[in-house]
Amino acid sequence: MKFFKIFARNLIQGPSTIAFPFAPAWTPERLRGRIVFDLAGCTGCRACEQVCAGGAIRFDKTPQGLRFMMWHNTCVFCGLCTFYCPTKAITQSDDWHMAHAAAHKFEMAIREVIPYTTCSVCGLKTLASAPNPVGVVPPFSAEEIEQHRQLCAGCRKKAMAERGATS
Amino acid sequence: MSNFTIPVGPLHVALEEPMYFRVDVHGETVANVDIHAGHVHRGIEYLATKRNIFQNVVLTERICSLCSNSHPQAYSMAIEKIAGIVVPERAEYLRAIADEVKRVASHLFNVAILAHLVGFESLFMHVMEIRERMQDVKESLFGNRMDIGANTIGGVRYDIDAERIGYLEQQLAWIENALIEVVALYRSNGSILGRTRGIGVLSHADALECGTVGPVARASGIRYDVRVKAPYAAYDRLEVPVHTLPDGDVWSRAMVRLAEAQTAIDLIRQCVRDLPDGPTTATTERPSIPAGEAIAKCEAPRGELIYYVRVGESPKPERVKWRVPSFMNWDALRIMLRQAKIADIAIIVNSIDPCISCTER
Repeated sequence: MKFFKIFARNLIQGPSTIAFPFAPAWTPERLRGRIVFDLAGCTGCRACEQVCAGGAIRFDKTPQGLRFMMWHNTCVFCGLCTFYCPTKAITQSDDWHMAHAAAHKFEMAIREVIPYTTCSVCGLKTLASAPNPVGVVPPFSAEEIEQHRQLCAGCRKKAMAERGATS
Repeated sequence: MSNFTIPVGPLHVALEEPMYFRVDVHGETVANVDIHAGHVHRGIEYLATKRNIFQNVVLTERICSLCSNSHPQAYSMAIEKIAGIVVPERAEYLRAIADEVKRVASHLFNVAILAHLVGFESLFMHVMEIRERMQDVKESLFGNRMDIGANTIGGVRYDIDAERIGYLEQQLAWIENALIEVVALYRSNGSILGRTRGIGVLSHADALECGTVGPVARASGIRYDVRVKAPYAAYDRLEVPVHTLPDGDVWSRAMVRLAEAQTAIDLIRQCVRDLPDGPTTATTERPSIPAGEAIAKCEAPRGELIYYVRVGESPKPERVKWRVPSFMNWDALRIMLRQAKIADIAIIVNSIDPCISCTER
Protein backbone atom coordinates (compact mmCIF):
# COMPACT_ATOMS: atom_id res chain seq x y z
CA MET A 1 0.00 0.00 0.00
CA LYS A 2 2.89 2.31 0.81
CA PHE A 3 3.92 2.19 -2.81
CA PHE A 4 0.64 3.68 -4.06
CA LYS A 5 1.66 7.04 -2.64
CA ILE A 6 4.94 6.92 -4.58
CA PHE A 7 3.13 5.58 -7.63
CA ALA A 8 0.56 8.40 -7.61
CA ARG A 9 3.27 11.02 -7.10
CA ASN A 10 5.37 9.65 -9.95
CA LEU A 11 2.27 9.59 -12.17
CA ILE A 12 1.53 13.27 -11.48
CA GLN A 13 5.17 14.27 -11.94
CA GLY A 14 5.26 12.73 -15.40
CA PRO A 15 8.21 11.10 -17.13
CA SER A 16 11.69 11.37 -15.63
CA THR A 17 13.34 10.63 -18.93
CA ILE A 18 14.43 13.24 -21.45
CA ALA A 19 13.41 13.43 -25.10
CA PHE A 20 16.94 13.16 -26.50
CA PRO A 21 17.67 13.29 -29.50
CA PHE A 22 14.57 15.43 -30.06
CA ALA A 23 15.38 17.71 -27.15
CA PRO A 24 18.73 18.74 -25.66
CA ALA A 25 20.21 16.52 -22.98
CA TRP A 26 21.47 18.01 -19.72
CA THR A 27 25.25 18.17 -19.68
CA PRO A 28 27.15 19.15 -16.54
CA GLU A 29 29.89 21.72 -16.85
CA ARG A 30 32.62 19.33 -15.71
CA LEU A 31 31.76 16.49 -18.09
CA ARG A 32 34.94 14.89 -19.38
CA GLY A 33 34.25 14.89 -23.11
CA ARG A 34 36.03 15.44 -26.41
CA ILE A 35 39.72 16.37 -26.21
CA VAL A 36 40.66 19.89 -27.28
CA PHE A 37 44.28 20.66 -28.17
CA ASP A 38 45.89 24.09 -28.11
CA LEU A 39 49.04 23.95 -30.22
CA ALA A 40 50.36 27.31 -28.96
CA GLY A 41 50.47 26.02 -25.36
CA CYS A 42 52.18 22.68 -26.10
CA THR A 43 55.70 22.32 -24.73
CA GLY A 44 56.30 19.05 -26.54
CA CYS A 45 57.14 17.33 -23.24
CA ARG A 46 55.09 14.28 -24.28
CA ALA A 47 53.73 13.67 -20.77
CA CYS A 48 50.25 13.18 -22.26
CA GLU A 49 51.58 10.48 -24.56
CA GLN A 50 53.21 8.66 -21.64
CA VAL A 51 50.14 8.65 -19.40
CA CYS A 52 47.51 8.11 -22.11
CA ALA A 53 45.88 4.89 -20.94
CA GLY A 54 44.33 4.01 -24.25
CA GLY A 55 47.33 4.95 -26.38
CA ALA A 56 45.22 7.55 -28.19
CA ILE A 57 47.97 10.19 -28.13
CA ARG A 58 51.08 9.77 -30.26
CA PHE A 59 53.92 12.08 -31.13
CA ASP A 60 56.09 11.55 -34.19
CA LYS A 61 58.76 13.50 -36.00
CA THR A 62 57.93 14.82 -39.46
CA PRO A 63 60.10 16.97 -41.79
CA GLN A 64 58.05 19.97 -40.64
CA GLY A 65 58.37 19.38 -36.91
CA LEU A 66 56.98 17.35 -34.01
CA ARG A 67 53.52 16.07 -34.83
CA PHE A 68 50.87 15.65 -32.12
CA MET A 69 48.28 13.07 -33.04
CA MET A 70 45.22 12.16 -31.01
CA TRP A 71 42.51 9.67 -32.01
CA HIS A 72 39.10 10.45 -30.55
CA ASN A 73 37.86 6.92 -31.09
CA THR A 74 40.70 5.45 -29.02
CA CYS A 75 40.27 7.96 -26.19
CA VAL A 76 38.72 6.64 -22.97
CA PHE A 77 38.04 10.15 -21.57
CA CYS A 78 40.04 9.45 -18.41
CA GLY A 79 41.51 12.96 -18.34
CA LEU A 80 45.05 11.94 -17.33
CA CYS A 81 46.52 13.96 -20.23
CA THR A 82 44.75 17.09 -19.01
CA PHE A 83 45.77 16.39 -15.44
CA TYR A 84 49.48 15.99 -16.19
CA CYS A 85 49.76 18.64 -18.96
CA PRO A 86 52.01 21.37 -17.47
CA THR A 87 50.43 24.15 -19.57
CA LYS A 88 46.88 22.75 -19.92
CA ALA A 89 47.40 22.79 -23.68
CA ILE A 90 45.31 19.65 -23.75
CA THR A 91 41.87 19.91 -22.17
CA GLN A 92 38.52 18.17 -22.23
CA SER A 93 35.41 19.93 -23.43
CA ASP A 94 31.88 18.98 -22.35
CA ASP A 95 31.11 17.83 -25.91
CA TRP A 96 30.00 14.20 -25.92
CA HIS A 97 28.41 14.15 -29.38
CA MET A 98 30.92 11.75 -30.87
CA ALA A 99 28.64 9.63 -33.07
CA HIS A 100 29.72 9.73 -36.68
CA ALA A 101 29.41 7.74 -39.89
CA ALA A 102 32.04 5.02 -40.30
CA ALA A 103 33.20 6.84 -43.44
CA HIS A 104 34.43 9.71 -41.26
CA LYS A 105 36.38 7.60 -38.77
CA PHE A 106 39.79 8.75 -39.98
CA GLU A 107 38.73 12.37 -39.55
CA MET A 108 38.05 11.75 -35.85
CA ALA A 109 41.56 12.83 -34.91
CA ILE A 110 43.64 15.85 -34.02
CA ARG A 111 46.80 16.26 -36.09
CA GLU A 112 48.90 19.33 -35.33
CA VAL A 113 52.57 20.01 -35.90
CA ILE A 114 54.89 21.98 -33.61
CA PRO A 115 57.06 23.44 -36.40
CA TYR A 116 60.82 23.64 -36.54
CA THR A 117 62.36 27.07 -36.31
CA THR A 118 65.89 28.46 -36.12
CA CYS A 119 67.10 29.71 -32.76
CA SER A 120 67.06 33.49 -32.78
CA VAL A 121 70.35 33.57 -30.83
CA CYS A 122 72.56 30.76 -32.15
CA GLY A 123 70.72 29.80 -35.34
CA LEU A 124 70.34 26.13 -34.39
CA LYS A 125 67.34 24.19 -35.75
CA THR A 126 64.87 23.78 -32.88
CA LEU A 127 61.20 23.17 -32.08
CA ALA A 128 59.00 26.25 -31.69
CA SER A 129 57.34 24.81 -28.59
CA ALA A 130 56.09 26.72 -25.57
CA PRO A 131 58.49 26.79 -22.59
CA ASN A 132 57.77 24.54 -19.63
CA PRO A 133 56.25 26.70 -16.88
CA VAL A 134 56.73 24.20 -14.01
CA GLY A 135 58.52 25.83 -11.09
CA VAL A 136 59.09 29.11 -12.94
CA VAL A 137 58.73 32.04 -10.52
CA PRO A 138 57.42 34.58 -11.43
CA PRO A 139 55.43 32.90 -14.20
CA PHE A 140 56.23 33.58 -17.85
CA SER A 141 54.61 36.60 -19.47
CA ALA A 142 53.03 36.21 -22.90
CA GLU A 143 55.99 38.01 -24.48
CA GLU A 144 58.51 35.75 -22.74
CA ILE A 145 56.70 32.68 -24.02
CA GLU A 146 57.00 33.99 -27.58
CA GLN A 147 60.71 34.79 -27.05
CA HIS A 148 61.45 31.34 -25.65
CA ARG A 149 59.57 29.76 -28.54
CA GLN A 150 62.30 31.08 -30.85
CA LEU A 151 65.17 29.71 -28.73
CA CYS A 152 66.93 26.35 -28.77
CA ALA A 153 67.20 24.24 -25.59
CA GLY A 154 70.67 25.57 -24.72
CA CYS A 155 69.74 29.21 -25.24
CA ARG A 156 66.54 28.72 -23.22
CA LYS A 157 68.68 27.49 -20.33
CA LYS A 158 70.89 30.55 -20.63
CA ALA A 159 67.86 32.85 -20.76
CA MET A 160 66.46 31.18 -17.65
CA ALA A 161 69.75 31.63 -15.80
CA GLU A 162 69.75 35.33 -16.71
CA ARG A 163 66.16 35.59 -15.54
CA GLY A 164 67.28 34.34 -12.13
CA ALA A 165 64.49 31.81 -11.87
CA THR A 166 64.85 28.28 -10.61
CA SER A 167 63.40 25.74 -13.01
CA MET B 1 9.77 -36.52 -8.48
CA SER B 2 12.62 -36.82 -10.90
CA ASN B 3 16.13 -35.43 -10.92
CA PHE B 4 17.37 -33.09 -13.62
CA THR B 5 20.50 -31.10 -14.32
CA ILE B 6 19.68 -27.64 -15.62
CA PRO B 7 21.96 -24.86 -16.77
CA VAL B 8 21.51 -21.33 -15.43
CA GLY B 9 23.63 -18.96 -17.45
CA PRO B 10 26.12 -17.99 -18.70
CA LEU B 11 23.63 -15.81 -20.57
CA HIS B 12 20.46 -15.68 -18.57
CA VAL B 13 17.76 -13.05 -18.32
CA ALA B 14 18.04 -12.84 -14.56
CA LEU B 15 21.82 -12.68 -14.29
CA GLU B 16 23.47 -9.31 -14.68
CA GLU B 17 26.77 -10.73 -15.81
CA PRO B 18 27.81 -14.00 -17.43
CA MET B 19 28.18 -16.78 -14.89
CA TYR B 20 27.36 -20.41 -15.42
CA PHE B 21 25.64 -22.54 -12.78
CA ARG B 22 25.01 -26.20 -13.42
CA VAL B 23 22.21 -26.96 -11.07
CA ASP B 24 21.12 -30.47 -10.08
CA VAL B 25 17.47 -30.28 -9.15
CA HIS B 26 15.21 -32.69 -7.41
CA GLY B 27 11.77 -31.61 -8.53
CA GLU B 28 11.67 -27.87 -7.79
CA THR B 29 14.47 -27.98 -5.27
CA VAL B 30 18.16 -27.41 -5.82
CA ALA B 31 20.22 -30.41 -4.75
CA ASN B 32 23.69 -29.34 -5.86
CA VAL B 33 25.30 -26.42 -7.68
CA ASP B 34 28.43 -26.30 -9.78
CA ILE B 35 29.76 -22.81 -10.45
CA HIS B 36 31.79 -22.35 -13.62
CA ALA B 37 33.71 -19.15 -14.17
CA GLY B 38 35.78 -17.64 -16.91
CA HIS B 39 33.34 -16.09 -19.35
CA VAL B 40 34.54 -12.52 -19.02
CA HIS B 41 38.24 -13.08 -18.47
CA ARG B 42 40.05 -10.22 -20.24
CA GLY B 43 43.59 -10.73 -19.00
CA ILE B 44 43.73 -7.43 -17.11
CA GLU B 45 46.41 -8.61 -14.66
CA TYR B 46 48.66 -9.25 -17.65
CA LEU B 47 47.69 -5.96 -19.28
CA ALA B 48 48.61 -4.15 -16.06
CA THR B 49 52.20 -5.34 -16.42
CA LYS B 50 52.27 -4.00 -19.99
CA ARG B 51 51.30 -0.44 -19.03
CA ASN B 52 53.14 2.07 -16.91
CA ILE B 53 52.21 2.88 -13.33
CA PHE B 54 50.15 5.95 -14.28
CA GLN B 55 48.23 4.30 -17.11
CA ASN B 56 47.26 1.55 -14.68
CA VAL B 57 45.25 3.99 -12.57
CA VAL B 58 42.88 4.17 -15.52
CA LEU B 59 43.13 0.48 -16.39
CA THR B 60 42.22 -0.64 -12.86
CA GLU B 61 39.32 1.79 -12.88
CA ARG B 62 37.92 -0.07 -15.86
CA ILE B 63 38.04 -3.54 -14.31
CA CYS B 64 34.52 -3.09 -13.03
CA SER B 65 32.11 -0.20 -13.37
CA LEU B 66 30.37 -0.48 -10.00
CA CYS B 67 33.53 -0.52 -7.88
CA SER B 68 35.38 1.70 -10.34
CA ASN B 69 36.55 3.99 -7.55
CA SER B 70 37.78 1.28 -5.18
CA HIS B 71 40.17 -0.37 -7.65
CA PRO B 72 42.24 2.73 -8.52
CA GLN B 73 42.08 3.79 -4.88
CA ALA B 74 43.59 0.55 -3.58
CA TYR B 75 46.08 0.54 -6.47
CA SER B 76 47.12 4.14 -5.76
CA MET B 77 47.46 3.40 -2.05
CA ALA B 78 49.79 0.47 -2.82
CA ILE B 79 51.95 2.62 -5.14
CA GLU B 80 52.00 5.44 -2.56
CA LYS B 81 53.18 2.96 0.04
CA ILE B 82 56.03 1.84 -2.24
CA ALA B 83 57.09 5.41 -3.00
CA GLY B 84 56.49 6.68 0.54
CA ILE B 85 54.17 9.41 -0.73
CA VAL B 86 52.08 11.12 1.94
CA VAL B 87 48.66 12.04 0.60
CA PRO B 88 47.54 15.56 1.64
CA GLU B 89 44.73 15.66 4.17
CA ARG B 90 42.27 17.36 1.83
CA ALA B 91 42.85 14.60 -0.71
CA GLU B 92 42.09 11.97 1.93
CA TYR B 93 38.70 13.52 2.62
CA LEU B 94 37.99 13.89 -1.09
CA ARG B 95 38.85 10.21 -1.54
CA ALA B 96 36.36 9.26 1.16
CA ILE B 97 33.68 11.40 -0.52
CA ALA B 98 34.29 9.68 -3.87
CA ASP B 99 34.19 6.28 -2.17
CA GLU B 100 30.88 6.95 -0.44
CA VAL B 101 29.24 8.50 -3.51
CA LYS B 102 30.06 5.32 -5.41
CA ARG B 103 28.80 3.19 -2.53
CA VAL B 104 25.37 4.83 -2.54
CA ALA B 105 25.01 4.32 -6.28
CA SER B 106 26.28 0.73 -6.18
CA HIS B 107 24.07 -0.39 -3.28
CA LEU B 108 20.97 1.25 -4.76
CA PHE B 109 21.65 -0.51 -8.04
CA ASN B 110 21.74 -3.90 -6.34
CA VAL B 111 18.64 -3.24 -4.27
CA ALA B 112 16.82 -2.06 -7.41
CA ILE B 113 17.75 -5.26 -9.24
CA LEU B 114 16.31 -7.22 -6.31
CA ALA B 115 12.96 -5.49 -6.87
CA HIS B 116 13.23 -6.32 -10.57
CA LEU B 117 13.88 -10.00 -9.84
CA VAL B 118 10.98 -10.10 -7.41
CA GLY B 119 8.84 -8.79 -10.26
CA PHE B 120 8.13 -5.44 -8.63
CA GLU B 121 9.03 -3.41 -11.73
CA SER B 122 7.66 -0.07 -10.57
CA LEU B 123 9.79 -0.22 -7.41
CA PHE B 124 12.78 -1.16 -9.56
CA MET B 125 12.20 1.96 -11.69
CA HIS B 126 11.72 4.09 -8.60
CA VAL B 127 14.96 2.99 -6.92
CA MET B 128 16.84 3.39 -10.19
CA GLU B 129 15.50 6.92 -10.41
CA ILE B 130 16.87 7.68 -6.95
CA ARG B 131 20.19 6.21 -8.02
CA GLU B 132 20.06 8.41 -11.11
CA ARG B 133 20.37 11.42 -8.82
CA MET B 134 23.66 10.01 -7.57
CA GLN B 135 24.72 9.47 -11.18
CA ASP B 136 24.03 13.16 -11.80
CA VAL B 137 26.15 14.01 -8.76
CA LYS B 138 29.01 11.91 -10.14
CA GLU B 139 28.72 13.51 -13.54
CA SER B 140 28.69 17.00 -12.02
CA LEU B 141 31.51 16.51 -9.52
CA PHE B 142 33.80 14.14 -11.39
CA GLY B 143 32.78 14.40 -15.04
CA ASN B 144 31.64 10.85 -15.67
CA ARG B 145 28.72 8.68 -14.58
CA MET B 146 30.70 5.52 -13.77
CA ASP B 147 34.46 5.90 -14.24
CA ILE B 148 34.75 8.93 -12.03
CA GLY B 149 38.54 9.26 -12.23
CA ALA B 150 38.80 10.65 -8.71
CA ASN B 151 42.13 9.06 -7.76
CA THR B 152 45.63 9.62 -8.91
CA ILE B 153 48.93 8.55 -7.43
CA GLY B 154 49.54 10.94 -4.56
CA GLY B 155 46.04 12.34 -4.20
CA VAL B 156 42.90 13.12 -6.12
CA ARG B 157 42.19 14.66 -9.50
CA TYR B 158 39.10 16.62 -8.54
CA ASP B 159 38.28 19.38 -6.10
CA ILE B 160 35.05 20.82 -4.80
CA ASP B 161 34.26 24.47 -4.12
CA ALA B 162 31.44 26.05 -2.13
CA GLU B 163 29.09 26.01 -5.12
CA ARG B 164 29.63 22.29 -5.76
CA ILE B 165 29.29 21.50 -2.06
CA GLY B 166 25.95 23.32 -2.14
CA TYR B 167 24.82 21.23 -5.10
CA LEU B 168 26.05 18.03 -3.44
CA GLU B 169 24.21 18.77 -0.19
CA GLN B 170 21.02 19.61 -2.04
CA GLN B 171 21.12 16.30 -3.92
CA LEU B 172 22.01 14.36 -0.76
CA ALA B 173 19.00 15.82 1.03
CA TRP B 174 16.73 14.69 -1.81
CA ILE B 175 18.24 11.19 -1.91
CA GLU B 176 18.06 10.88 1.88
CA ASN B 177 14.33 11.61 1.92
CA ALA B 178 13.68 9.26 -0.98
CA LEU B 179 15.66 6.53 0.79
CA ILE B 180 13.60 6.77 3.98
CA GLU B 181 10.52 5.95 1.89
CA VAL B 182 12.26 3.10 0.08
CA VAL B 183 13.65 1.52 3.26
CA ALA B 184 10.15 1.50 4.78
CA LEU B 185 8.90 -0.24 1.64
CA TYR B 186 11.57 -2.94 1.69
CA ARG B 187 10.83 -3.43 5.38
CA SER B 188 7.10 -3.94 4.98
CA ASN B 189 6.11 -4.74 1.41
CA GLY B 190 4.53 -8.20 1.13
CA SER B 191 5.98 -9.03 -2.29
CA ILE B 192 9.49 -8.18 -1.19
CA LEU B 193 9.27 -9.94 2.17
CA GLY B 194 7.62 -13.03 0.69
CA ARG B 195 10.40 -13.52 -1.81
CA THR B 196 13.37 -12.59 0.39
CA ARG B 197 12.73 -13.49 4.05
CA GLY B 198 14.32 -16.81 4.95
CA ILE B 199 15.62 -17.29 1.39
CA GLY B 200 19.27 -18.07 0.67
CA VAL B 201 20.24 -18.25 4.31
CA LEU B 202 23.94 -18.10 5.16
CA SER B 203 24.56 -18.79 8.81
CA HIS B 204 27.17 -16.94 10.82
CA ALA B 205 29.36 -20.06 10.96
CA ASP B 206 29.12 -20.67 7.21
CA ALA B 207 29.81 -17.02 6.48
CA LEU B 208 33.00 -17.27 8.54
CA GLU B 209 33.95 -20.57 6.92
CA CYS B 210 33.61 -19.13 3.40
CA GLY B 211 35.50 -16.00 4.40
CA THR B 212 32.72 -13.78 3.11
CA VAL B 213 33.24 -10.04 3.19
CA GLY B 214 31.22 -6.87 2.78
CA PRO B 215 27.45 -6.68 3.12
CA VAL B 216 27.18 -10.48 2.69
CA ALA B 217 29.26 -11.04 5.82
CA ARG B 218 27.60 -8.22 7.75
CA ALA B 219 24.13 -9.58 6.96
CA SER B 220 25.25 -12.84 8.60
CA GLY B 221 26.30 -11.00 11.74
CA ILE B 222 30.02 -10.64 11.05
CA ARG B 223 31.12 -7.21 12.20
CA TYR B 224 33.85 -6.62 9.64
CA ASP B 225 34.40 -3.44 7.68
CA VAL B 226 37.80 -2.35 6.36
CA ARG B 227 36.84 1.28 6.96
CA VAL B 228 36.74 0.48 10.68
CA LYS B 229 39.25 -2.38 11.06
CA ALA B 230 42.01 -0.85 8.94
CA PRO B 231 41.02 2.73 8.20
CA TYR B 232 42.37 4.31 5.04
CA ALA B 233 41.82 7.75 3.47
CA ALA B 234 39.99 9.90 6.02
CA TYR B 235 38.02 7.07 7.65
CA ASP B 236 40.02 7.14 10.88
CA ARG B 237 38.65 10.66 11.45
CA LEU B 238 35.07 9.80 10.54
CA GLU B 239 32.42 8.08 12.55
CA VAL B 240 31.65 4.92 10.57
CA PRO B 241 28.84 2.78 11.96
CA VAL B 242 28.92 -0.90 10.93
CA HIS B 243 25.51 -2.35 10.13
CA THR B 244 24.96 -6.00 10.88
CA LEU B 245 21.92 -8.26 10.86
CA PRO B 246 21.71 -11.74 12.36
CA ASP B 247 19.62 -13.71 9.84
CA GLY B 248 21.85 -13.92 6.77
CA ASP B 249 19.00 -14.16 4.28
CA VAL B 250 18.46 -12.25 1.02
CA TRP B 251 16.38 -9.64 2.82
CA SER B 252 19.07 -9.00 5.46
CA ARG B 253 21.65 -8.41 2.75
CA ALA B 254 19.37 -5.91 1.01
CA MET B 255 18.64 -4.14 4.30
CA VAL B 256 22.35 -3.92 5.18
CA ARG B 257 22.96 -2.33 1.77
CA LEU B 258 20.15 0.17 2.24
CA ALA B 259 21.42 1.06 5.73
CA GLU B 260 24.94 1.50 4.33
CA ALA B 261 23.65 3.75 1.58
CA GLN B 262 22.02 5.92 4.24
CA THR B 263 25.20 5.89 6.31
CA ALA B 264 27.23 6.83 3.23
CA ILE B 265 25.19 10.01 2.87
CA ASP B 266 26.01 10.85 6.47
CA LEU B 267 29.71 10.10 5.86
CA ILE B 268 29.78 12.44 2.86
CA ARG B 269 28.27 15.15 5.06
CA GLN B 270 30.93 14.52 7.74
CA CYS B 271 33.66 14.82 5.08
CA VAL B 272 32.24 18.04 3.67
CA ARG B 273 31.92 19.48 7.17
CA ASP B 274 35.52 18.64 8.14
CA LEU B 275 37.08 19.20 4.70
CA PRO B 276 40.44 20.89 5.38
CA ASP B 277 42.08 23.38 3.03
CA GLY B 278 45.25 22.55 1.19
CA PRO B 279 46.58 20.84 -1.90
CA THR B 280 44.80 17.86 -3.47
CA THR B 281 47.95 16.06 -4.61
CA ALA B 282 51.30 15.38 -2.98
CA THR B 283 53.25 16.48 -6.07
CA THR B 284 52.28 18.61 -9.06
CA GLU B 285 54.27 16.47 -11.46
CA ARG B 286 54.38 12.72 -11.81
CA PRO B 287 56.20 11.35 -8.75
CA SER B 288 59.06 8.91 -9.29
CA ILE B 289 58.26 5.41 -8.08
CA PRO B 290 61.17 3.33 -6.75
CA ALA B 291 61.33 -0.46 -6.85
CA GLY B 292 59.40 -2.21 -4.13
CA GLU B 293 56.26 -4.06 -3.23
CA ALA B 294 53.21 -3.24 -1.17
CA ILE B 295 49.75 -4.36 -0.20
CA ALA B 296 46.79 -2.05 0.24
CA LYS B 297 43.16 -2.70 0.94
CA CYS B 298 39.92 -0.78 0.96
CA GLU B 299 36.23 -1.37 1.45
CA ALA B 300 34.62 -1.60 -1.98
CA PRO B 301 30.81 -1.58 -2.10
CA ARG B 302 30.96 -5.39 -2.23
CA GLY B 303 33.52 -5.77 0.55
CA GLU B 304 37.21 -5.95 1.18
CA LEU B 305 39.37 -5.32 -1.89
CA ILE B 306 43.07 -6.16 -1.58
CA TYR B 307 45.79 -5.03 -3.97
CA TYR B 308 49.32 -6.29 -4.24
CA VAL B 309 51.74 -4.36 -6.43
CA ARG B 310 55.39 -5.09 -7.14
CA VAL B 311 57.46 -2.51 -8.98
CA GLY B 312 60.91 -3.17 -10.43
CA GLU B 313 63.30 -0.85 -12.24
CA SER B 314 60.97 -0.47 -15.21
CA PRO B 315 58.18 2.15 -15.34
CA LYS B 316 55.77 -0.77 -15.68
CA PRO B 317 54.84 -2.75 -12.57
CA GLU B 318 56.21 -6.28 -12.42
CA ARG B 319 53.04 -7.68 -10.91
CA VAL B 320 49.64 -6.34 -9.98
CA LYS B 321 47.36 -8.77 -8.22
CA TRP B 322 44.06 -8.11 -6.54
CA ARG B 323 41.59 -10.14 -4.56
CA VAL B 324 38.06 -8.97 -5.03
CA PRO B 325 35.18 -9.41 -2.57
CA SER B 326 33.01 -11.39 -4.99
CA PHE B 327 35.66 -14.12 -5.12
CA MET B 328 35.02 -14.85 -1.44
CA ASN B 329 31.31 -14.29 -1.64
CA TRP B 330 30.44 -16.48 -4.60
CA ASP B 331 31.82 -19.50 -2.79
CA ALA B 332 29.03 -18.97 -0.27
CA LEU B 333 26.49 -19.32 -3.08
CA ARG B 334 26.85 -23.12 -2.85
CA ILE B 335 25.55 -22.96 0.71
CA MET B 336 22.89 -20.32 0.01
CA LEU B 337 21.52 -22.24 -2.98
CA ARG B 338 21.31 -25.58 -1.15
CA GLN B 339 17.64 -26.63 -0.89
CA ALA B 340 16.53 -23.42 -2.61
CA LYS B 341 13.69 -23.34 -5.12
CA ILE B 342 14.61 -22.93 -8.79
CA ALA B 343 12.64 -19.67 -8.91
CA ASP B 344 14.84 -18.22 -6.16
CA ILE B 345 18.19 -18.92 -7.82
CA ALA B 346 18.40 -15.53 -9.51
CA ILE B 347 17.39 -13.65 -6.35
CA ILE B 348 19.98 -15.50 -4.27
CA VAL B 349 22.74 -14.97 -6.83
CA ASN B 350 21.91 -11.27 -7.00
CA SER B 351 21.93 -11.01 -3.21
CA ILE B 352 25.73 -11.40 -3.06
CA ASP B 353 25.95 -8.55 -5.59
CA PRO B 354 28.32 -10.62 -7.71
CA CYS B 355 30.84 -8.70 -9.72
CA ILE B 356 32.00 -11.15 -12.33
CA SER B 357 34.08 -8.66 -14.28
CA CYS B 358 36.11 -7.93 -11.11
CA THR B 359 36.52 -11.57 -10.21
CA GLU B 360 37.50 -12.88 -13.62
CA ARG B 361 39.13 -9.66 -14.84
